[in-house]
Amino acid sequence: MSERENKPNTSNWFMWFDVRHRDIGDWAFVLHRLTALGLVLYLGMHLIVLGTLTLGPDAFNSFIDLAHNPLFIFGELLVVAAALYHGLNGLRVGLTSFGVAIPYQKQLWYVVMAIAVIGSIIFAISMFTA
Amino acid sequence: MSTSKWDVTFLVYRKKGQGTPHYDEFTIKVNPDEYVLDAIERIWAYQDRSLVFAHACHHSTCGACGMRVNGVEKLTCITLIRDVTADGGKVKVDPLRNFPIISDLTVDMGVLYTRMDEVGHRPVLPLSEEPAEPGVKPVKIAAEGDIIRLADCIECGLCISACPIANTTSGYLGPAVLAGALQHGLDSDQHLFSLVEGENGVWRCHSAFECTEVCPSYVEPAGKIMELRKQVIWKRIFGIAK
Amino acid sequence: MNNSISPPKSGQNTWLWLLKMVTGLLIVLVLSVHLIVNHYLPEGGLMRYEDVIAYFSNPLVVLMEIVFLVTVVPHALIGVRSIILDLNPSKGSTRLINWILALVGATAIIYGIWLALTVASLA
Repeated sequence: MSERENKPNTSNWFMWFDVRHRDIGDWAFVLHRLTALGLVLYLGMHLIVLGTLTLGPDAFNSFIDLAHNPLFIFGELLVVAAALYHGLNGLRVGLTSFGVAIPYQKQLWYVVMAIAVIGSIIFAISMFTA
Repeated sequence: MSTSKWDVTFLVYRKKGQGTPHYDEFTIKVNPDEYVLDAIERIWAYQDRSLVFAHACHHSTCGACGMRVNGVEKLTCITLIRDVTADGGKVKVDPLRNFPIISDLTVDMGVLYTRMDEVGHRPVLPLSEEPAEPGVKPVKIAAEGDIIRLADCIECGLCISACPIANTTSGYLGPAVLAGALQHGLDSDQHLFSLVEGENGVWRCHSAFECTEVCPSYVEPAGKIMELRKQVIWKRIFGIAK
Repeated sequence: MNNSISPPKSGQNTWLWLLKMVTGLLIVLVLSVHLIVNHYLPEGGLMRYEDVIAYFSNPLVVLMEIVFLVTVVPHALIGVRSIILDLNPSKGSTRLINWILALVGATAIIYGIWLALTVASLA
């Protein structure tokens, strides 16, 4: 029995991802973790790209030229959507973690998704029509 | 009450020893107002005596008959067949997740029972310490001659099966155990506090709320984990748990 | 019974979680400021190198970005730590991971502050 405990988990580390037959709360957790990973990657890239500001006008400006590519703008939209979801669900997790509104955790998630989706659509419209 | 029988096909998980797991199909006539456990019993009695499954009280008090029905954790003694399928339909029956499988639908719950003991969960306790109505705060000091009750948690393990963190690591104490620790409180026991605050304790929960979702006994383990977190924080900041 | 779960003495998990919550809440506020101010304050937007340099001549902008950096980096790395803990690392591995993440965090913050101040000085 004790040999099952605390063994380094190298074989099923991805099982947190298994949402089959699960309810809203598990979906919320999986999305929260996925957006977290996406945002960490974005954070790293953002900090590095901003470093080109110290290399003179050409370095940064040529990156800006890249940023007009629609694929790039789509990527930015994903970041915005991820940040919206992660931040709003984060507030939901914060509330429930301190005992507030636990019986309404599912309804809260619907509100989080609604705001995240609507916000993303608004951003998409403004980003692709600019 | 309907007396006409349904034809239902049960896909039952089978695993013996080191053999490969597979599903056996059993099509039987059932009364839809019977329970999934009744169907499993009938399959065992009339079709396959080698089917191994756990059951005892048949009224949701012992916690023995937990299984996954169509993928979702249920106490099969109180799961109506009409709630999980239709006439001519199929029902998939699997053992609980996150426990080692002994045989077929029976899992080894030893780790859970040991951990419940370790956090001092009492299956029978005074009413003042675990009120039967929700929202009533427990009063720790039990009066003499106080009424006693069975604890809400029947140690059925459905919550452990449903928890995504327990799914990735067997070390995580799990919802039932953490909720059980709340029964004891964190002021009385240094070891319990360390267990709860440690790398396999409350901070491993990621608020999936699946435990509360499947609990058949109104324990609301997710809420209890949050309550326990508050106690841990209070004790770290102020020296005593709230 | 062999208790293989050894207790932490430091309350590390508790404090880190609290920090994650506090920085999380702050980020919601500061990120909103970051997005709104960066979008609406500069005339014609932050389109080219020259716009950014001029924008960073405002010390309040520099301060805002540094505050943002100092809240986001700990939140992100404590979160990454939580994800890594699901791999059930040994006690030794956990301590190593703690140190690596702390190092990465310190580097990111020092780099970020240096960057903000450097860009501000280019104006």
